[in-house]
Amino acid sequence: MTSNQLENFRIPIGPQHPALKEPGHFEFAVDGETVTDASVRLGYVHRGIEKGTEGRNYVQSMYLLERVCGICSHVHATAFALGVERLAKVEAPPRAQAIRVLVGELERIHSHMLWLGVAAHEAGFDLLFMYSWRDRETVMNLLENITGNRVNYSANLLGGVKCDITDQHEQEIRTGIDFLEERTAYYLDVVSNDAMFLRRTRGIGVMSPEAAEQLGVVGPTARASGVARDVRVDAPYAAYVDHPVNIVTETAGDLEARFKVRIKELFESYRLIRAILDNMPEGDLTTRMPRRVKPGETISRVEAPRGELFYYIKSNGTDTADRVKVRTPTLPNMGSVLALAVGHQFADMPMLLAGIDPCFSCNDRMVSINAPGGDTQQWTWEQLRQYGIEYYR
Amino acid sequence: MKLSTMWKEALGSLVQRPATEKYPFVRQEAPEHLRSKLHWDLEGCTGCSLCAKDCPANAIEIITIDKKAKRFVFHYYVDRCTFCGQCVASCNKDCIELVNNEWELAALDKDNFELYYGNDADVDSVLAEPAEADVEEPITA
Repeated sequence: MTSNQLENFRIPIGPQHPALKEPGHFEFAVDGETVTDASVRLGYVHRGIEKGTEGRNYVQSMYLLERVCGICSHVHATAFALGVERLAKVEAPPRAQAIRVLVGELERIHSHMLWLGVAAHEAGFDLLFMYSWRDRETVMNLLENITGNRVNYSANLLGGVKCDITDQHEQEIRTGIDFLEERTAYYLDVVSNDAMFLRRTRGIGVMSPEAAEQLGVVGPTARASGVARDVRVDAPYAAYVDHPVNIVTETAGDLEARFKVRIKELFESYRLIRAILDNMPEGDLTTRMPRRVKPGETISRVEAPRGELFYYIKSNGTDTADRVKVRTPTLPNMGSVLALAVGHQFADMPMLLAGIDPCFSCNDRMVSINAPGGDTQQWTWEQLRQYGIEYYR
Repeated sequence: MKLSTMWKEALGSLVQRPATEKYPFVRQEAPEHLRSKLHWDLEGCTGCSLCAKDCPANAIEIITIDKKAKRFVFHYYVDRCTFCGQCVASCNKDCIELVNNEWELAALDKDNFELYYGNDADVDSVLAEPAEADVEEPITA
């Protein structure tokens, strides 16, 4: 091969199982073992969920949107329910808000422990993967006991929640999180001190706070670079107003910091769950919710385990939403993988990708623009801007 | 820094019982609030069909035989049901229940996934009618 061909040697990864069990296509240009350029192509699991909401009423849409993500399903339903409740000028009772946050924090524990196992597996540390997943069963069982389902819990209703926290539940949750807290301390020790594992994480994928700001990353990925960004703190919703969250940050910005941030966040979740159980408000679980929602638009932001989850909801006076727009945290975080890949060893790529806790199915959206002429076409940014100016003139 | 931090854990597991469950030889009792198969009670049903309207999976159909006499047949598609429990919340008359112990729903025959609840005579009359082509309506905006 000539030197020019070697420079342009590109290795495709995916779309089948690039790192996780979801499809996405990556192309890495390599010079020997060193990555010199990276690109991504998403969209293999586009499901048309946003369009699907246009043919369903608000109640049905909530369950559809819950299925955007199989891991952080509850926050999707919570974001949608909070948004629709705001449009309908209805507020769920305090007990319902507390239960929403309680289930949300249990879900965060399950999501972070799942990620810990997956990321350890990517590093070839299957022992950590298997033990962390064994312990994760504890929180899965708690969620099943409370809500009735292991995944897609369907705990929310528009205007409240379905499930109550009984004394027996409270006892089970306390016992469960006591056990998990002990195990989490052990896993923090493992990821901070295991010499072999640290070779895969320390100093890999270092992202400075400036780079994190510039790339617009969210959630634990941003917090691992010292950017204190958390919707639960910046714009508290539901019971987070009464139970403030202590934001967890690390300064190193490498993969090790991303492990530590997520594991330390688990301790914060345990503290929050205990605080909510100690001060569980009494009262109803639901409030009356109108079937038709007056015309209006709103945004609803919540902190999913992976970062900021954004919903835009537009109502038109009927029982069906006019438009629902979802932005999941993987989309802003994906750019960081491409930016950080350059200069790293090719073997570090699966770990770098797993480091942002990507969820490909969640972030696949499609934008199609109907030109005034009638044909669907692609517009440039300038054309789009001009169209916007003309539209509102 | 330590070499091989988890070896104690791994060796300790050699003398422990497996964490996995021995299903189907050992069946754990289902949690009290587990949502499994749906049951419908004719008593009290007004045929308002809120359950069918709110079902996100189109798993419920209320067939009205005689509204004044409150004779309805509840057509339930077990294979479509996502066990979300919305129908239970939507029903104002507490006619619907998701029991916790009927969760082993796998079947070899597709007929097992369609259930009819109601008076025997009404169910027979519904079943006697020629079956309509079961084409799912595409959802359009």
